[in-house]
Amino acid sequence: MTTTERAVSPVPEQSPSEHVPGGRDIWFFVLFESLAFTAYFCVYLFNRTQHEQVFLLGQSHLLLWLGVLETIVLLTSSWAVASCVQDARAGRYDASKREALLTAGFGALFLVLKVIEWVRLIHAGHTFTSSEFFQYFFFLTVIHCIHLLIGFVVLGVLWYQLSDQKRRSQPTVEICATYWHSVDFFWVLIFALLYVVR
Amino acid sequence: MRRPALLDDPKRELWLAWYATIAFYTLYTVVFFIITRTQPPGKAWYTPTQVVGWFASRHEGLLIGFGLIFILGGLSATSIALITYSIRRMSVSRVFAYSYLIIYAVSAVPGFLFICVAMTVGAFRPGRDPEILRWIYDLGFLSFSGTMGVFLIGSLIWMVAILLDKNRVFPAWFGYLNLCNALTEVVVAPSWIFHTGVFAWNGVIAWWINVVVFGLYTGAFIFLLRNMILREDFGTGPLPDLLPPEGRGRMLAEFMSP
Repeated sequence: MTTTERAVSPVPEQSPSEHVPGGRDIWFFVLFESLAFTAYFCVYLFNRTQHEQVFLLGQSHLLLWLGVLETIVLLTSSWAVASCVQDARAGRYDASKREALLTAGFGALFLVLKVIEWVRLIHAGHTFTSSEFFQYFFFLTVIHCIHLLIGFVVLGVLWYQLSDQKRRSQPTVEICATYWHSVDFFWVLIFALLYVVR
Repeated sequence: MRRPALLDDPKRELWLAWYATIAFYTLYTVVFFIITRTQPPGKAWYTPTQVVGWFASRHEGLLIGFGLIFILGGLSATSIALITYSIRRMSVSRVFAYSYLIIYAVSAVPGFLFICVAMTVGAFRPGRDPEILRWIYDLGFLSFSGTMGVFLIGSLIWMVAILLDKNRVFPAWFGYLNLCNALTEVVVAPSWIFHTGVFAWNGVIAWWINVVVFGLYTGAFIFLLRNMILREDFGTGPLPDLLPPEGRGRMLAEFMSP
């Protein structure tokens, strides 16, 4: 097996009809992480059917309005990052940078709300080990927040790219936005499962 | 008299390391899943008496299987070496390669060798006090499953190197797969807290989902390391692409190319 076995070929050009925002690689990440979350959700739903009363009791301690508020905040951050991509495409980089900051701001607000919710629940005696429902609650919300923290690094990359004309790259802007949307997407599913489905 | 082609192949050492990697992961699977049956792991909630039964049912397997690991386990170095080589072939700082090499060399002790030593000690004298045997059992499985996090930073380093690389050594999707792998290693951390349920060291989330992701990740990087060797031109610039094969394999080859 040597290099002589296979000839070297030039990089194929991608036609406009084949264009995927951010490129296919980041969508592979979205797909794979979606499968991982789907596996967690299946385990959660299976255990919920086994101990329905325990899960219903646990869910009754959550504040639905706080979950709705968190969802609105994160959806707004997704709107801001979508606007950031549109402005970057149109060459309006100052507006694009402002929207990247706005995205991070809403992300930080979501994190603050989440920490307030965790502290409130822990003070009320609901911890990671207190019941089966709260095992899943803390696991899913913490693993989501780890994705969110990585999202702040991604937004930092986005800001860095937009700040200098030489570094600007539309695919990178779209990759960063796709990651942020995936964080939002996972939250909507977690919100529906933990707060809404009863 | 002509020398065999293999001796003249400048990639012979790389291929040797790649086949050694295949040999190591085959040995690992056979020893852990078949000979010693330490994977899937024993139950985290076993009583001392049940642990005695667990050791008794695997006595010969543990001694023979882990004996093989103590002789051949060093083959694990070849995959780490090949991955470090791949990072050195990238257009990024050498700091990435050195950090990856050191992290994985150190992580192999708690994440791989501890369980082998602990379980062999447990099997060595079957008449031990059941409480001591359970202590050894806990040490083995907690060190194996509970220390997955030590590999996390290594995966992130490899991810950042791939995403920054301009030599196209690995496709970007594999960089993101490193992130997926790192995130599933985070979910093993609760195994230090729970004796039962999905977060225990043998639980559905802490072990089964994690091992499926790790299996896919390992299969992907072994395949991509093979592609890297095929494409290697021993230069310092971008690696050339492989000409995709005709027919059904073409789509897969295009997906695998950077």
